[in-house]
Amino acid sequence: MQTKKLSPLQWVLMLMALTVTLFPVFWILMTAIKPPTDWNASPAIWVPSEPTFVNFKTLFDPEAIREYGVGGVSQSATKAVFGSVLASVTATFLSVLIGLFSAIGISRYGDGNKATPLIILSGRMFPPAAIAVPFVIIFSNIGLTDSYVGLIAIYVAVTLPFSTWMLKSFVDDLPREIEEAAMIDGLSRMRAHLTVTIPLIKGGLFATTMFIFILNWSEFMFALVLSYTNVSTIPVQLAKYVTATAGTLYGVQAALAVLAMVPLVIVGYLIQGHLARGMTFGAIKQ
Amino acid sequence: MLKDSLNASSPETASVTQTPPKAPGTGRPGAGEKTVARILTMPGQLVSLLVLVAPLLVALYMSFTDWSPTRGSLFEAEFVGFENYSELLIWDTRFVYAVLRTLLISIACLSLEFTFGLGLAVLFMRRFRGKSVLFSAFLTPMMILPVVVGYIFWMLFQSSGPVNQIMECILGPDVALEWFKNAPLAVTAVIVTEVWHWTPLFFLILLSGLNSVPENPVRAAVILGASPRQVFWRVIMPMLKPVIIVAFVIRAMEIIKLFDEVFMLTRGGPGSSTETISLYIYKLAFNDFQLAYGAAAAFLTLIGSLVLIHLMLAPVRNQLLEAGR
Repeated sequence: MQTKKLSPLQWVLMLMALTVTLFPVFWILMTAIKPPTDWNASPAIWVPSEPTFVNFKTLFDPEAIREYGVGGVSQSATKAVFGSVLASVTATFLSVLIGLFSAIGISRYGDGNKATPLIILSGRMFPPAAIAVPFVIIFSNIGLTDSYVGLIAIYVAVTLPFSTWMLKSFVDDLPREIEEAAMIDGLSRMRAHLTVTIPLIKGGLFATTMFIFILNWSEFMFALVLSYTNVSTIPVQLAKYVTATAGTLYGVQAALAVLAMVPLVIVGYLIQGHLARGMTFGAIKQ
Repeated sequence: MLKDSLNASSPETASVTQTPPKAPGTGRPGAGEKTVARILTMPGQLVSLLVLVAPLLVALYMSFTDWSPTRGSLFEAEFVGFENYSELLIWDTRFVYAVLRTLLISIACLSLEFTFGLGLAVLFMRRFRGKSVLFSAFLTPMMILPVVVGYIFWMLFQSSGPVNQIMECILGPDVALEWFKNAPLAVTAVIVTEVWHWTPLFFLILLSGLNSVPENPVRAAVILGASPRQVFWRVIMPMLKPVIIVAFVIRAMEIIKLFDEVFMLTRGGPGSSTETISLYIYKLAFNDFQLAYGAAAAFLTLIGSLVLIHLMLAPVRNQLLEAGR
């Protein structure tokens, strides 16, 4: 198509959009490095005159947190960070592993059931609050409430549709003649998949893993209703700060928010070419 | 580019399954096709069955009882038929308002996200310096956790926060808006947050759609004397229709479940004036312990959204199937 140059007016529009896009990010970064006196100043201070990393230190120092401690927040964020890493990494690994097998199965042999995609999609439509209810009941009966095992099981199940359909779209891209050639060379069906198919979709496998990690790391509601004292994740901890203190911990919360978003933004940039594919269950490829 | 994975397994896959590729004589007699297929898909099906289907069935059963955790075991609870459902639809104005509010937020968000996303995507069809850096920059919001987005905008909309500072610069010094104490303003704040967060998705999907529009029909239209405006609305947009609908469906599914951002911004307040369906169900189940009633509300929502999505997909169902061929 014709590729005209951007006109000056369009540049102005573009820069306005860019400002709106980046301003909230700028704000959270600035709040994270504000000293306590600047947190909730009126009028708000945009750029702190004395930037400091004290908020990040406070976050991991139980004593310091307790000093600010209003209401229930006397917990340092160490456990939440540990919990988030443990739950997201494990769940991502399992989800991608199981999803990979399903993807090859569905792509190469069909799943024999045309309603399956719809069933999976309706699983996504169901309000998570409602899936959480039976989980709370079932888990309390088998002792999985407030445990990482329970949380990871849910994360795997919830992200499985995404990993399966995203990986299926990568396997679909691969001509099946490659596997057939390997089978003619004497490999069994299963070995052909393991040693030929999987190495050939390495890039897709990486993108999917990162995408599923983003989903797991961002998950909030299940962690909120299934964690009490043993289990915590960063989003839950962040919400706790808001509840307990009505915002008196601005800077510390912002520091935790920054810690939570930095890995995701990096991962997101790495796989930006595949984000559309992930979000649309592989319906749109780039 | 567009696969029919939203509808059914692709015709291509289906046709090949009917005539399985048989490795000529030399192939080793390893596991048969059916066995391999079963082994491959079993773990996924097992997980979905145990962790999604089973709880859904429990919730479905529960929605027909009057169970609450204070009344002992679920299986001793009294069976009340459709009482929860009729209560919700006829008497529970809070639920009805939550549904209407969620729909209002969905419509507002979808139209704004679409407009901004399309505008930006069209700008990105032009030639300019720093395109790849700007592309990444514009995608940033959708990579941030919903909870963090909620927290950021909660800070921005404080009465002494930067949004009010900017408003005062434009509208004069007396415009101190209390965003979270006034119902329409609070809903506006939720919509602004959601639009900021997810416009990048529309931008991304529409840009990839625009990039894959074939050149020939466009050239033909230009040669036949169509103005750029006509080319865009009469030639390019119709070709984008499936992409646009996929984007709308995916976003609609997510907005209907809107929870994290609202939880961080307003907790449904003031009063219950920003409660979305998810937030209402959450409060029913985990603040008021009306679990059975909450489950009924969830199933009504599921049925409603299935119907809605079915209707949204209807105009492009055939087109999506064609695209897979």
